[in-house]
Amino acid sequence: MSSYKGSREAFAAAMMQLAEEDPCYVTISPDSMKAMRMVAFAEKYPKRFFEVGIAEQNAVGCAAGMASCGLVPFVATYSGFITMRACEQVRTFVAYPQLNVKLVGANGGIFGGEREGVTHQFFEDLGILRSIPEMTIVVPSDASQVFAATLAIAKRPGPAFLRVANGREAVIFDKEIPFEIGKARKLVENGTDVALMTCGFILSRVLKAAEVLKAEGINATVLEVHTLKPLDKAGIASLLEETGAVVTVEDHNVIGGLGSAVAEVIAEHAPAALVRVGLQDVFPESGPAEALLDHYKMGVDDIVKAAKVAMAKRDHRRAG
Amino acid sequence: MSCETVNLVDMARLLRRDVVDTVYRAKDGHPSPALSCADIVAALFFKVLKLDPQNPKWPGRDRFILSKGHACPVLYAALARRGYFSRDELPGLRSLGSCLQGHPCMRKTPGIDMTTGSLGNGISIGVGMAMAAKYLEQDYNTYVIMGDGELEEGIVWEAAMSAVKHKLDNLIVFVDNNGLQSGGKVSDISGLMPIYEKWEAFQWHCQEIDGHNMDEILAAVKNAHQVKGKPSLILAHTVKGKGVPYMETDNSWHKRVPTDDEYKEAMEILGGMDCE
Repeated sequence: MSSYKGSREAFAAAMMQLAEEDPCYVTISPDSMKAMRMVAFAEKYPKRFFEVGIAEQNAVGCAAGMASCGLVPFVATYSGFITMRACEQVRTFVAYPQLNVKLVGANGGIFGGEREGVTHQFFEDLGILRSIPEMTIVVPSDASQVFAATLAIAKRPGPAFLRVANGREAVIFDKEIPFEIGKARKLVENGTDVALMTCGFILSRVLKAAEVLKAEGINATVLEVHTLKPLDKAGIASLLEETGAVVTVEDHNVIGGLGSAVAEVIAEHAPAALVRVGLQDVFPESGPAEALLDHYKMGVDDIVKAAKVAMAKRDHRRAG
Repeated sequence: MSCETVNLVDMARLLRRDVVDTVYRAKDGHPSPALSCADIVAALFFKVLKLDPQNPKWPGRDRFILSKGHACPVLYAALARRGYFSRDELPGLRSLGSCLQGHPCMRKTPGIDMTTGSLGNGISIGVGMAMAAKYLEQDYNTYVIMGDGELEEGIVWEAAMSAVKHKLDNLIVFVDNNGLQSGGKVSDISGLMPIYEKWEAFQWHCQEIDGHNMDEILAAVKNAHQVKGKPSLILAHTVKGKGVPYMETDNSWHKRVPTDDEYKEAMEILGGMDCE
């Protein structure tokens, strides 16, 4: 079983391992040491921990400068402060020059931000980054996968973003399996009645929904699209061709993230009936994490209903 | 003035000539912001910076960032004259297929250490380079040229604070204080003044010079090299469009292309069409 308290702890553990391996791995903190669980790293490797104060734009600018000198800086803080406040630095000084900067964003989605409210719930981060060329975007689904994904982006040259949560995420994988960037993977293969495509910590709900569907005689395939860029278009299209019906499930606005990415594949490569489960383009509110997802229609029941709607749409088209 | 200073002054004149020639031939670009920092660029690229044009990525080189990236015609001219690429490339500025982008691009142009053009960011990136040097125990220095107008950007002051915290005495920042920005006088557009006192208050080592006086530029750099434990700020008083009289009095030359007659006039003033 995974031994991490949460995904941020898993990220921090991966950084310790990387630091052990190579002194090129450094971290830049816009006063995010505690939030990102980097206290032990800062104590063990004080020269590799660069505190720049509450100044995310400067943190990313510094990272660009350090990367240009051969280091591999990680900037870890709340996702929106990287992707919104420092968006231009990410785009112009990290992505455009293809510098080896790693960005780690916490509180992605409303589950991560939960009681903090909209200022700390970031459900646009993936959409913003997806429109920036050269970015690698990974959205792991539990703590052990965050550990593996941190190592994976560290070893892959170029700009990358990794989304982590706040410690309330479920444990899904019972061993540390590798994280293969750019390759979607089937986690449940009950059948081809409908596809459930998902990314991130909401995967635990998708797996439950697949069980509920199976109990009702509907055989779903669950595809974990943990890399939004580069997108595994072939893997997605192949499953779309088999099922003709798909539900995307993400803790993100339905505009810009996985739902949009799959819609693009549908439009260009493989026609299919689509229902997007996610935040329906509204500003949410504060609340307990699990209750928030339920309230904003990202519950297991919502996924089950969406699967039936997608199948009905497909069947209607086929009949027509 | 020493013989060396005379040569640098002459080099600054040649860079100015290249700037006017480049913008005229390319039919696009920012001439007067490039002219105001030509003396500083000449001093850095032909005297101060440790560089190897044959090996542009040499890890031990000094780093240079033109934060006011729109002034790039003067940087491109300096790089060409240092041998990073042919001067024949200069008129290609801003054209499709050229290695000379509208603003500096480190992936396309040999000798460019950092992509710039979005104002205010160069100093932050310079802080990163200077921190990397300290961490890697390398003795290169990082030099940044900022405009005065771009000091209005918030990231400048974020970077200013972090440079002091990290005791970056290997970071030397020039402010090309020509007093003008795109829309008019810096003093009219912002509440930035006084500039020198702000940097002093931020605990930088500060110097104030005539940015067109080669002796003062070189002396200020020498002083900055002696400073320990603090980043250096050199506030260089300059004239936007310096060297071309009709540009010195007209801010429309921030971004404007000379006519045939204006081009001839400028080239005559800067030493004639065939001065080399």
